[in-house]
Amino acid sequence: MSQIQKSQAELLYEAQQRKARQFRTNVAISWAALLGFLIFLFNGPIQIDSEFMKRSAPFIAGGIGQTFYISVLSIGLAICLALLAALGRLSTFPPFYALSTFYVSLIRGTPLYLQIFFFFLALPQLGIVLPGLFAGVLALGLNYGAYMSETFRAGISSVNKGQRESAMALGMTPQQTMQRIVLPQALRFAIPPMGNDFISMTKDSALVSATGFVHEIMWRATRVGRAEFNNLEALIIAATFYWIITLILTFFQNRLETRLAKGDR
Amino acid sequence: MMPIIQISNLDKYFGRLQVLKKISVEVAPREVVCIIGRSGSGKSTLLRCINFLEEPSFGTIEVDGIKVEAGEKGKGHRQLVHDIRLKTGMVFQEFNLFPHMSVIENVIEGPVTVKGMNRAKAIELAEENLDSVGLLFKKDEYPNRLSGGQKQRVAIARALSMEPKVMLFDEPTSALDPELIGEVLNVMKKVAKEGMTMLVVTHEMGFAREVADRVLVMADGEIIEDAKPSMLFTQPKDPRTKALIDRYRTGER
Repeated sequence: MSQIQKSQAELLYEAQQRKARQFRTNVAISWAALLGFLIFLFNGPIQIDSEFMKRSAPFIAGGIGQTFYISVLSIGLAICLALLAALGRLSTFPPFYALSTFYVSLIRGTPLYLQIFFFFLALPQLGIVLPGLFAGVLALGLNYGAYMSETFRAGISSVNKGQRESAMALGMTPQQTMQRIVLPQALRFAIPPMGNDFISMTKDSALVSATGFVHEIMWRATRVGRAEFNNLEALIIAATFYWIITLILTFFQNRLETRLAKGDR
Repeated sequence: MMPIIQISNLDKYFGRLQVLKKISVEVAPREVVCIIGRSGSGKSTLLRCINFLEEPSFGTIEVDGIKVEAGEKGKGHRQLVHDIRLKTGMVFQEFNLFPHMSVIENVIEGPVTVKGMNRAKAIELAEENLDSVGLLFKKDEYPNRLSGGQKQRVAIARALSMEPKVMLFDEPTSALDPELIGEVLNVMKKVAKEGMTMLVVTHEMGFAREVADRVLVMADGEIIEDAKPSMLFTQPKDPRTKALIDRYRTGER
């Protein structure tokens, strides 16, 4: 006659699931509404030159490659520097320790914007002229390296003391212990924050445009925007590109994090 | 017979606190020596001084003919410490398996990285040792999938794969659930039977009584009694030993 009665636990669980589903749906609807409102604003109350946008979007998009290129090179440099600085910070050899803390202190004590100008504008005064891209990568890499060294140091310190001891008891040298036992475990802790740093880097790379030598997204946007006095439109296009890049990178970052969380800890 | 471990006049300070006071002790080859004592008596520190996980402040340590003076520095000293570590295997209270390596990788790590042993040969040796602790079937698992008792048995196999002359056990069952202690003690008994020289810091009085050739009792950084278990557990000389044994007997730790 009637179906088999569901147990109390099942009913409660289903209610919980329903609630969570409802929340997610409502959030999605609200997002869509906010986005729709933005689009509406630029199509009605705020006058924008859509003909200009169509015309200059491909030109600005041409900078995406450069933005990526700078970010990848800079993050590579930053990881190498961060690793060295973190090892220096944990070193018992005074000059190495001093060099590391000096570097981190100097870079963290001055603005990134200033550092970028230093490499473009101040160095030529000393007769050192770096190619535009190279100077930008150097500035961003040095800056992010200093901040990331803290992430690495925390990762290395978070590896249990017992791990080092059992490696030493097996007869491993300090170098072998670091390479084979400590660093692989430390990197695992450091990978999610490194992903965040890379995402920030793609946006901070826009600062490099200020020097006018690297033709990435921001440089192109300000150039066409100023030329035709369509700054609003140009910046909207650039913002859209940055946002989409960030969304894509965040998606992969989340997947990486879930995979690491699932892995054998 | 020549002792395989010879500790003479060993002092150890932590800051201003003296935790080992003029310790002198010898261990013969194939001997199983248990070290008991209340926490803070210096028993773990003594064990960790033997392979220089703790640097002794004064005194000498000799293991299988390799003699190291405390407090020396430099390359020669480091080489001697390395040589001593090759002669000693250690098992820790917290297992300390490498979590990023599978069981078999844990066990071959020492032979391959430290001794430069050929990988195939190291795997053969590791499988032999894993088999003898009864965990060959877990060789491809990662440590986080093992129980505490299984982890400790892998840790024993890992130490044995370096083919040490002496095994040091630092409270090997203290971090285990009571029902898992037996499997680890059984493996240790097996290792003892095969003729390994063993130093065991432990709270397991049953194990000390049954397996040990000698029991050292430590208190306040000194060895207050050194006797065969049959003597020690029936006729303790020092009142502190008697108090210690009585505490275990009433089940209080």
